[in-house]
Parts: sequence; C-alpha cells; structure tokens
Amino acid sequence: MTDRPELLEELAAALPRWLPSQRWFAGKDRPVTAVRPLASTVVLDGDPLLLHVVVEVVQDDRVEPYQLLVGHCSQPPDVSAASWITTDPVGLYEASGDADLTAVLLTKMIEGEQVGTLRFAHEPGVELEPGLRARPITSEQSNTSLVYGSRYILKLFRKLSTGENKDLVLHRALRDVGSTHIAQPLGSITGELAGEPVTVGMLQQFLPDAVDGWAMATTSVRDLMAAPSTPEDPGAQPHPDEVGGDFAGEAERLGASVAEVHADLARALGSEPVDAGELDRTVKAMLDRLDAVAARVPDLIPHVPALRSAFEQVRGLREETGIITMQSIHGDLHLGQVLRTVGGWLLIDFEGEPAASVDERRALRSPLRDVAGMLRSFDYAAHSLLVGQDADEAHVERALEWATRNREAFCEGYAAAVAGGTAGLGDPREQSTLLRAFELDKAVYEVSYEHANRPDWLGVPLASIARITDGGDRT
Amino acid sequence: MEEGTRPDAALGLDGVPHTGESITNEGMLVEPQSEDFEHAEQAPSDPHWFKGAVFYEVLVRAFTDSNGDGTGDLRGLASRLDYLQWLGVDCLWLPPFYASPLRDGGYDISDFRAVLPEFGSVDDFVHLLDEAHKRNIRVITDLVLNHTSDAHPWFQQSRTDPEGPYGDYYVWSDDDSRYADARIIFVDTESSNWTYDPVRGQFYWHRFFSHQPDLNYENPEVQEAMLDVLRFWLDLGIDGFRLDAVPYLFEEEGTNCENLPRTHEFLKRCRKVVDDEYPGRILLAEANQWPSDVVEYFGDPAAGGDECHMAFHFPLMPRIFMAVRRESRFPISEILDQTPKIPDNAQWGIFLRNHDELTLEMVTDEERDYMYSEYAKDPRMKANIGIRRRLAPLLDNDRNQQELFTAMLLSLPGSPVLYYGDEIGMGDNIWLGDRDAVRTPMQWTPDRNAGFSSCDPGRIYLPVIMDPVYGYQAINVEAQSNNAMSLLNWTRRMIEVRKQHHAFAEGEFIDLGGSNPSVLAYKRQWLRPDGRQDVVLCVNNLSRFPQPVELDLAMHRGSTPIELTGGVRFPEIGELSYLLTLPGHGFYWFQLLEPEQLGESR
Repeated sequence: MTDRPELLEELAAALPRWLPSQRWFAGKDRPVTAVRPLASTVVLDGDPLLLHVVVEVVQDDRVEPYQLLVGHCSQPPDVSAASWITTDPVGLYEASGDADLTAVLLTKMIEGEQVGTLRFAHEPGVELEPGLRARPITSEQSNTSLVYGSRYILKLFRKLSTGENKDLVLHRALRDVGSTHIAQPLGSITGELAGEPVTVGMLQQFLPDAVDGWAMATTSVRDLMAAPSTPEDPGAQPHPDEVGGDFAGEAERLGASVAEVHADLARALGSEPVDAGELDRTVKAMLDRLDAVAARVPDLIPHVPALRSAFEQVRGLREETGIITMQSIHGDLHLGQVLRTVGGWLLIDFEGEPAASVDERRALRSPLRDVAGMLRSFDYAAHSLLVGQDADEAHVERALEWATRNREAFCEGYAAAVAGGTAGLGDPREQSTLLRAFELDKAVYEVSYEHANRPDWLGVPLASIARITDGGDRT
Repeated sequence: MEEGTRPDAALGLDGVPHTGESITNEGMLVEPQSEDFEHAEQAPSDPHWFKGAVFYEVLVRAFTDSNGDGTGDLRGLASRLDYLQWLGVDCLWLPPFYASPLRDGGYDISDFRAVLPEFGSVDDFVHLLDEAHKRNIRVITDLVLNHTSDAHPWFQQSRTDPEGPYGDYYVWSDDDSRYADARIIFVDTESSNWTYDPVRGQFYWHRFFSHQPDLNYENPEVQEAMLDVLRFWLDLGIDGFRLDAVPYLFEEEGTNCENLPRTHEFLKRCRKVVDDEYPGRILLAEANQWPSDVVEYFGDPAAGGDECHMAFHFPLMPRIFMAVRRESRFPISEILDQTPKIPDNAQWGIFLRNHDELTLEMVTDEERDYMYSEYAKDPRMKANIGIRRRLAPLLDNDRNQQELFTAMLLSLPGSPVLYYGDEIGMGDNIWLGDRDAVRTPMQWTPDRNAGFSSCDPGRIYLPVIMDPVYGYQAINVEAQSNNAMSLLNWTRRMIEVRKQHHAFAEGEFIDLGGSNPSVLAYKRQWLRPDGRQDVVLCVNNLSRFPQPVELDLAMHRGSTPIELTGGVRFPEIGELSYLLTLPGHGFYWFQLLEPEQLGESR
C-alpha cells in the first residue's frame, strides 16, 4: 500500500477553494483558511485509485474534521464537473459519483475487511448481495448517500465526530428490540480520529417505494387549497375533513409510529425522570437562544415577553418532575425525516439537530421535543404553498385548519399508541406547558434560520409564535 | 296430491320442465335432466382462457327485451352478442336467471334446473350459449351452493316429511342454541341464524335471509345433488360458475362457521368434477374477504390450484377510489403488497363496479384498520362507495377520471370485469332505492325505452334513465358508436390494446414506487414462450394536477418506451432516472423494447 504523499499535498492545496462549493459543507459562513490532511487510506490501489482521506478544515478558530473519497485515474471517469477537486497537474476528483470505485466499499463490507485504519463490517447475521453498483442521491443536505442497486443505502457522514455515532447506535438499539419503524442497519465503516474510533459510514436497507412525509403532507395541503368554494356562499370555505386529500388518517398513524419508536428507545436504552437541575438548564438554554435571536431579528422583539414567560413557566414544573422523563430521542424530527412506505411510517436520520453540539445530541432529552418538532413541521407544511404569495385570508384560514386538524390527529395517534404499549409519556397534550415551550423554542430557532436564509418564510414561525403565545392553539 | 301441498306449488313453473313435477315411489322428486334439452357447441378449446379474458357482467333483465313484455330476457341478450363481440368481451357473467320468488334478486333459487319464466327457458339459454360460442364469447353464471329459497321443492319436502329422502337436506335443530359463534351477516333484517318452522316444529339454519335455508352439506346426498346441478348446466355447455357465498357451506360447533376445512374439501370435489368431466370450464369464488384468506379458495399452490380457478379481489376496488380521492398511491400499493401470490393456474377477478355492494365488514380486524379509519373519517366515501352509484356519477361524470379508472382496471393484476353500461358512462337513479339504482335498462338508442324494449313505457321493469346529463337521449350506444372520440370507442380501443400484450394478463406485477406519492407506476412483466420478456410500463397520475415523476428504470437501460395507444417512441432509457410528466388524471401505457426488438419492428 502506497501512501501517495504527493497526492495529499495537491489535495490540501486545492480543497480550500473547492470545499465551500459542496452542498454538504457545513462551514459556508466563513472562509476556509487552511485544510490539513489528518489521515489517508488507500482503499483501492493502482489505476484507478481510491483514497479515503480525513482532513481538518480550519476556519479561523473553528477546526473541524471532514471525510472525502478521492479518486485518481488515468482515464477520466464520467463524473460531474463539480466533482473535480483539481485537474492540474494531476486529476483528483470526489469519487462518490464514480460507480466503479464506490462498488469497492460494498465489497469490503461484505468481506469484513480492515484496510489501514478503516474497518469495513456488515452487521451480525446480515448477508449482503455482492456486485451492486451505486448511484449518489442528490437530495441530501449534510451528508452523502449512495444507493446500491435499489437495495442498500450507504450514508457517508461528512463532518466527523469521535465516539459512537448516534445514528448508528440508535438504529442498532431499535433493531435489537425489533422496531418496525426504521430502515434496518446492515453495515458500517469505522475509521480513526486522534486515536479514537469514528463512524464514517452506515449501510441501511433502501426503500424504493418510500415517499417522505413532507411530500405526503403537501400533497394534502395542495388538495385543500384548490378545493372550490361555492358560488352561492363564497364565504363558506371547504374544510380539511371534507375534501379528498384529508391527511388526518396518515397523521394519526404517523403519531402512533413516533410513539412506538419512543417506547422502543426507552425500552432499549433506558429513561430517567428529569431533575430540577435539568429543567433549569433547559429553561436557560431556551432563554439564551431567545436573547441571541432577538438581538439579530427585530421582528421577534414584540414577542419576547410572551416567549420569556412561556419558557419561565417550565421552571414551575418542578413538582411534576416525576412524570417528565428523559430518554434517547430522534432529536431533529420533522416531516422530512419520516418516510411513508407500503408497510407504514419509518423514521430516518437519528443524528439529531445538525446545529447542536455532539454532547447535546447524545444527551437524554424529553421525547416531547420530537413531538414539538413534528407539530412545527405540520405548521410549515400547511403554510408552504402560501409563502411568497399575497395574503388571501380564506387560504390562511384553510392552512390553519389543516394544521390544527393534523396536529390533533398526530397527537391522537401518539397518545393511543403509547396507551396500548408498555412505556411512554401518554398524551403529549397533557404536558402542555413543556410541549408549548419546546415548540416555541423550535420556532425561535426557525426565526433565526429563516431570517438568515429564507426571509420569505420568516412569517411562518412568527405567526405561529403569535398564535401559540396568544393561547389560540391547543396543541 | 292437494294443490297446496304439492312440493312444486310455489314455483310458478306449470307447463315447463321443472323439479318436482312428479314424485317416484321412493319419495324422490323427479328433476329435469340435461338429456331433455339440446346442448350448445363448445367454444374453441383453451384451458387458460380465463387468465386474460375481459369479463362483462350483464343482468339479463336489464339488457334487451325480445318479446315486448318490459323485461329483458335471454333471447334479447343473444341478439346483442355482435355488440359485445365488437367491444372485445370474452366472457359474460350473468347473475342468477333461475326460477326464484325474487326476494333476494334471484339469489333465492327455487329450482336449480329451470329458468325464471320472464327470462325465457332452458332452450333459450342453450340458444344464447350457442350464439355466444360462435363468437368466441363464453358465458358463466352465478350458482348459490350454500342455500336455496324456502320455495324450493327440496325444502317443502324436508319440512313436511322429516323421515323422507329430503328430511336431512337442511340443517334442522330442536332449539336455536347451536353454532352460537357464527355472526349474523344481515344484521339489519335478521336477529338470529335460526328460524322456527311451524310445519316441521323445528328450527332451521340460515346464514342469510330467513327465507333462504342453508343446505346440509353433512349429508352426502346433498353434496351429490349439488354436483349434479353443476353437471346439468355443464352438460348444456355453460363455461363456468361464479360460486356465491362459498365460505359458509359447513358448520362446526365452536367456530365462526366460515372457511372451514370441509368447505374447502367440497370445493375440491367440485373442481375435480370440472377437471375430469368438463375441462376448460371454470369456477370463480365469491368470498368477500381479505386477499390472504381468499387465496385459500384457489386451493393447493403445489398442485397449481385445485379449488376455484378465479376469485374476486374485493378490497382493491374501494382502494382505487380512495387512492384517487387522496391523490396518493399508497392505498393501492399497500393492498397489492398484502396480496399473496396465487397458484400458477389461478387468476384474480377485479372490478370497479358491480351489481352488489361493497361491505366494510371484511376490514374490521386490527391489521385491516386502514380502510376502516379512512372510510369512517370520510362521510362522502362511506355514502358513495356503496351500492347505489355507477362509475360515471361516482366520478362526477369526469371523462378523464373514467379513463384513468378504466386504464387501471385493464392493467392491474387480474382479469377485468366490466359492468354493463359503464362502457358508455351510464348514470344511475338513486330514487329507485337499494340496488335497483344501478340496474336500469341498457341505453341502446335515443328512441323509445332507449331501444331496450318495444313495450308501453309504463310496463318497463324499471324506468330508463331520463335526466339531462345521463338520460338515454344523451348517453346511448348508437350515438357513441358513431363518435370516434366517445367513451365507448375509447374503451373498446383500450381493451384491444390490452389483448395485444399478454403481459397485462399474466405478467408479474412490479410496483415501481418513486418519490411522488401521487403517481402510481408499475411494470407488468411476462416471460414469453420464446424466452423474451414482454414488459409493459403503466404510469398513472392519481392527482387532478399535472405531475412529474422520475422512475428508476436502470435495469432497462437502452430500452425504448413505445406508447401503446399511438405507437409513439419516447426517448431511450439512459443511466439517469427516467423523467415523465403527466397531465391531471393522465396515464401512460408503454411497451419497453430492447434495441434488437426495435430493429425487428422496423
């Protein structure tokens, strides 16, 4: 095995310019000041050559590790122009789009090979079909996923963090207790970072029949928005329970699925009652975020007293700490993280909120955070068709009714499933103070995100905050 | 014998051959035999004809009246066979035309060996068979195995002479406590599965109406008698039977008395009679149950199926309606995913509408929750999916949706069953109540009585549809056959295309999924005898809005999709996913041709 130091030098020189153009690169807010190779492994030697590289990306005081698959070939492969990291004097390209090279990753997982510090493994008892070729999927935000022959999906984590990978740990835990609401984990690739193991890839079952929850929900919203009013009584608007695209049945089943995943996670990894200190920390984090966002977004300022009050109320829950539990949760649950398949709803991507620190992601948290995430997502779906349009009161009213109906249905399903199961937290609506605070906290985060990235959408979280703090919204 | 006590007194069949015209010294009823009648010529031999056949359900009463009495009849139906052949129909399914008091639409049969006089005679039926077979059209009819009318001479003998040869033909009991675990099917009209008969002084068992006593299949003579009923019609030349209400033949204490092993045993006997004595004829099971239970009625898969050749797929129909209403493919994808593989020599029958109702009883179990919750939430679905509506009014008379639904009927797995009149988009008359709403006369012409009958309009069995949208002056066969763009001509063309590709009949069904929930895309893939694959790709937009879809057709890279109705070549399938756009409620049928096959067609 050759180390090819000359290639690494070329690479390090070219990456500061190339990285910011990649969708998955998380540091687009600041210039890249330096890129230093930390480790490299020749996965496939010769021509073509496949190199696995971990680099350290320096952006002033921020230093973060990323992984890359780098190809080098005398016969340039048919990959997109954006894949070329450098062409002169040697051609180096990001290799996730080169099916000839990525096929090797699956083969090595089947063989259970160790290459340098990279350990390729399949999950115990799993038999993988050899010889499949991969295509990258384009929709992913922060990682890169390869689909092998419509059978498997390999997620390559881009930004790396040492220690056990939460996504993999939770998938394995859910698999071990027989959860039917996940895509089964099938294999993994583990590397080394600063002497510690780091998960660089996870192989899962791929579901070609799946549709994400966002597409399902907005199909329903589209139907409601287009439903005609009657000429005799133009004021009378169609209601979401009367039109063909009603989503309440799906929302209810989705609620039940999320509840079952929570119960399974608690069963597999344990849960514990929240203590007063944790409540205080939670409130402090919410207030800190509120202050930080209000300092940047003037539109939020009028809502600050009501928000502050809603967060402070959580402190008053000390006496109820016995019924509030902490456990492993999804951490970033929204309609884009759930898949409808012919077998029912699945949850994917258990990594947690991308903006949160590693420790935050791994900490035990209230499952109500996931519920709040879904409730926010229903609000977003309801309003998605109205963003950037002139306000039409009738349509705003329809959006509101749709959100209310499906948020209710989701909670119904969640409550019913937990009641029929073993563990869980019952009807989330019964813990309204905490649920409301989580939802508002999420909305404050959304205000910050939309202000920075999609000003057109800013009205969606702001209107929700106004409505929730006004007490006009039960769920 | 006294007039009132004659066992055949209630039949109303004086003057025509019927059961119980006389009684032998042993007390046996004399029954008509097939040798008493002419036999029809058989249709050309083809043991697998049913796998690709297009079925057409037609009510004898509703199609054509040949003698001006206001009621359709067998001779009238025979006179329309040219039309049915032109349409592309391969097999007629006739609901019961037997002698009957008509308290249950003819399913209360009072003589298995006689025709209801207003429909004609056994000779008329043989005439219909002959004429149909000449046109390569087959004919099947309903046969109720489970019970008879209480007017049947067998029952009359059984109640009056408990010790006689028919004493044990029905299920009699001194009290009404047995088989308590069997549910009552018609809960609205019946309070018990037992009814007291004052004549015999005992209770008799009935799973359906109290005027339909269940036959006692424990009695070997009943089994033989019913096998002889099959033989009677098969001798005359009939091509098969739709076996009505098959799950209920046997009873057993401590069970729900449905789908019992001995019921399956008897069906295997029926099948053996057909296979040994009448090859090429078929049995079609009506078992309104979940597909995983219905497959039992195909029999042993290792033997290729040794009970019924066909069975209706009941849950598919409401799910097609639900999928289009929700603009989501999942209701259809799910039910097909849950449908088990069937034996090699078996086929599903699928339909959009028929004369009967959709019942939701079959979906009450926990795992079948889906339909129930969706329907319960949607009052419009609950009311509309039932018995009272035809396809066109159910779809708001929207031509695009009628075409989409028919395209799915003709391309989903199973042999399609059309309901008479739906090919011209006939309407219904909900004021007629119950099932009559969808049983009005076929609309042939804009003339008097819609060309159905020459009788005085007041004499017709049900009024023809006369409203401005669906009335016979607007909607009729004559007008539509003269219009190249009519629904009738469109339907005929689609049936024709379907028959050109055997993949539609026997091809494996492969759901292609995809990220757009409103698009249902699937392949039908059939390995031809010459070793080549016949691959048909069907893409359906369940939404009323235009939709894009990206299909993963990587395994057909290099093939070219040819649109089947016009023969237009679409771009070759490449490395990337294949992009199609569809108009609202639009659909495509393609054949996928490999490069060398393309060469052939040049």
